[in-house]
Formats: sequence, C-alpha cells, structure tokens
Amino acid sequence: MQRRKFLSLGALAAVVTMVPASLSALDFRATKPDVWTAKTVNDGIAKLFGKVATPSDAIKLTIPKVASNGGQIPVDIATDIPAKTVALFQDANPESAIMVWNVVEGSVVDYSLKIKMKKSGSMTVVVEGKDGKLYSTTKSLDVALGGCEG
Amino acid sequence: MKIKAKLKGDLVEAKVMIKHDMLTYDQAKAKTGKREDANFIVHIEATVNGKAVFDASTSQFLSKNPIVGFSFKGKAGDNLVVNTVDLKGNKDTETQAIR
Repeated sequence: MQRRKFLSLGALAAVVTMVPASLSALDFRATKPDVWTAKTVNDGIAKLFGKVATPSDAIKLTIPKVASNGGQIPVDIATDIPAKTVALFQDANPESAIMVWNVVEGSVVDYSLKIKMKKSGSMTVVVEGKDGKLYSTTKSLDVALGGCEG
Repeated sequence: MKIKAKLKGDLVEAKVMIKHDMLTYDQAKAKTGKREDANFIVHIEATVNGKAVFDASTSQFLSKNPIVGFSFKGKAGDNLVVNTVDLKGNKDTETQAIR
C-alpha cells in the first residue's frame, strides 16, 4: 500500500514538472471560442475577460488617422503596464476580435501588426494587468477603401 | 515565412512576415460561394531555446500576408523559431538566428 502511494505520487510529480513547458502556449481559440464570434467590441471583451475595462492613457495605440488601404492598416501597441493578456478589437468588421496576445515572461508589450477593416470605425486595445484589472484605450480612424472585399 | 530578428540594446526586435491569404468568411463566400472555404492563421508562437517569447491567437482580420512584430529579452546568436497554424490545420515553421 505504501509503495503504491509512493509510486502514484511520483507519477503525479512527473506530470506537474512536465506541465510548465507546454503551458507557456495559450490558445485562446480553444479556451475562449466565443470571443471570435462576438459581434461587438463590448461583447468580445465580456466573452474574453468577463469584466468591463476602464479607459487608461498608459496604453499607446498608434494607428493612422486615415487609412488609404483598408487591407493593410498598420497598428502599433505598446504599454508599460505589467500585462498578462493583450487583446485588440475593432467595430467595422462582422466580428470584433482581431488578435489576442498571451504576454509571456521576458517579453515586452510592444507589438505591431497589419490588419484589414471593412469601413471606417474604431479600434480598442484591452490590457489585462497582472493585478487582474482591465485597461483599455480606443481610437477611431477613417478607411478610404475597405479591405474585406478581396 | 520570413523572419527578421535584430538585437537592439537588451531587446530583440523581431518581425515575422507570413505568406498567407488570410481569407475571411465574407471573402470566401464572395469567391467560392462557400463560407467554409475561409482560411486564416489562428495561432502564432515563437520560441528561443525552447522557451516561449511570443504567443498569440489571431483572427481573419489580419491583413493578407500579415506582418507581425514583437520584442523580447534575448541575445544575438540564438535561434528564433516561429510556428504558425491556420484554420485548416496547416502548420508552418521557420528558424532564424538573432543578429
């Protein structure tokens, strides 16, 4: 009996030590499938975090005021808030979620990407801090030529 | 996929250029008549020496052939490995030494 207990403990310990390596990757499509079908920004935030975000000016969202090509809109996101998760939403496309970053240890929140938007609208960045609070910032832009018609 | 990774100070600035159509549901419907033909990158992950330095889930609204930039603490000479997966399950991987 004693030996059996000891062996099962060993098996458990092996599992526990193996977990961190695979845990670093977080697939938000698998864990939060509802986020990607949410139609509005607020709905997307609610589905992802289950909370309401408070506006903050500690997040730097850099986008053009007018995008001539809606298929290639450059977006820069940076913040000094110790973050756990960063998410980008917009309100011009059929669904609101664009990208969700799992901020891994040793990385810096300084992201750039190119997105497409169907028409003029606004973008919202939500940062979930390590303190569990949600911070957000929103910026609007004009899109001259929609990027989703392909 | 093309990767640029350059050390600036103590941060590595990485840019990943992914070759992918990023076909949205609406675009797929307009093109082939079937919503199910949509295909886009759903997950991008980068590691250095087996340790994750970037991890993000993405949607159909990244641009065609998207460019994704990020920064992390690292050093020159290490290999940056980037893995992507699209909606249909196609995987792509690329390795680039940090300069």
